[in-house]
Amino acid sequence: MRHIPEEELHAYLDQGLSRSQCVEIESHLASCPSCQGARDGIAALRDRTTALLAKLAPPRGFPPAFETLQARAAVAASVHRRRVHLGAWAASLVAAIGLGWTASNLVTRPVAPSQPSHTVSITPSRSASALPASVHSPATRQSTPRPAPRRMAVTRAASKDTSPPVPTAPVVPAPALELSSVDIPRADREVELDGMWRTMSWDGAQAEAGDKLPHIDGLPVVQVQVQASEHGKVPLTVVAQQLASGEVIRTIEGPMNDVSHLLAKRAMSDPDPSMSTTSSDTLKPSGPATHTDQTMAMQRGDRLLVITGALPSDSLLAMIRRLNAEMRSK
Amino acid sequence: MDELEQLYQTTYTAVVRFLYRKVWDAERAEDLAQEVFVRALTHRPEKPRAWVFAVAANLARDEARAAVRRKRHLTLLKGDPVAQPTIQPGADTLVEHDERMAAVQDALSTLTPRDREILLLSDAGLSYPEIAAQTGLALGAVGTTLARARRRLVEAHDRQHAQGDHAAHS
Repeated sequence: MRHIPEEELHAYLDQGLSRSQCVEIESHLASCPSCQGARDGIAALRDRTTALLAKLAPPRGFPPAFETLQARAAVAASVHRRRVHLGAWAASLVAAIGLGWTASNLVTRPVAPSQPSHTVSITPSRSASALPASVHSPATRQSTPRPAPRRMAVTRAASKDTSPPVPTAPVVPAPALELSSVDIPRADREVELDGMWRTMSWDGAQAEAGDKLPHIDGLPVVQVQVQASEHGKVPLTVVAQQLASGEVIRTIEGPMNDVSHLLAKRAMSDPDPSMSTTSSDTLKPSGPATHTDQTMAMQRGDRLLVITGALPSDSLLAMIRRLNAEMRSK
Repeated sequence: MDELEQLYQTTYTAVVRFLYRKVWDAERAEDLAQEVFVRALTHRPEKPRAWVFAVAANLARDEARAAVRRKRHLTLLKGDPVAQPTIQPGADTLVEHDERMAAVQDALSTLTPRDREILLLSDAGLSYPEIAAQTGLALGAVGTTLARARRRLVEAHDRQHAQGDHAAHS
């Protein structure tokens, strides 16, 4: 009777054999002391190997929460679909939240954080969940009944942001827009604002977000958006700032889950320009070069800090590092 | 619970250990392990467990070639390191631990790359079919390879020990 080869005993002990092979081996083992000895020797060798390798373990760290990884994956996904225009980003952000209240005021001119002057302006819009995710499609624009000024706001922002920057061109100011301000019944507001977005003044946003609203020092702020949050929690904020070149960068800070949700929504609702742009589309970029968004994300405890904008990734990286250092030293 | 979340809870440590035995840097191993799971979340592979280790092996290989280039558009940075405390064993335990570890590390380095890979995959809990699929080895050859790898590892380690003892006594 043939004895069991060494590798088969390994496979047997590693549970790497089929049921029938196991039966065969077991019946042989039952009547073969020599193979029993071999099996015991191999079992000991396996144990030694396992014990030796167990020493090759890193100091035990704490695995990050699964939600952290989900947030990173959301960032990765949003970057993956980065053929995005910033205007569409603004629109999809608004649309993605499915808000009942929508921020309508892009500011008439860039306002430095040190000299906040624009007003809080909230426009109620019950049908705002029907906001177009795609501002690129003229058909969508026409078919969506919305107040003209706001549509212009988004449209013009998109138009500006998608045009390739010309180094010699004068600085393009933020588009001049109508500010609309409507009184909202107080009770209504309290119910409705939960989980929704408001565009706020610098002071107002700062008061809600705590003493430091994450932003890049020294750049004019064009828009501040705040997501309402549970009482006592620091809310999610989006600060849009404009560079001298006219590019807009956004600093997003908030609870991991919310930011990740936002980015994921953004990735999903970003229209592919090649799909929605037609020859008659006035939003079509004038040149072949289209700037794309880059996104940098940094985890800070259970919160996520994100900077996104059409800038080289190393610039964003430098910004997010500096911002993180500032926030830490705070 | 999400299938991937379950996998994460059960295998994250094994993936870190698997990577650590290739890059020999605990922090880097954790970074790479997290990257692996982030990718799993974006790709949603059909056989996530085998996939996770396959990607981990690839990342470690890239790392070894020092050719790892983060995606141009995205740099994920580790957040506040203070927020993630690690347990620090006492200094004495640490030194002893390091010495023992170095001995195994040396022994492991005497194996051929393939034997080492298969041994580490097996130790990480992969089944024979999974190992075969990942390494391209015939299913029947997994046992043979493991038999050889185990024997060589223990022999190399014991040989070292014998030398060490000899040096200590002379």
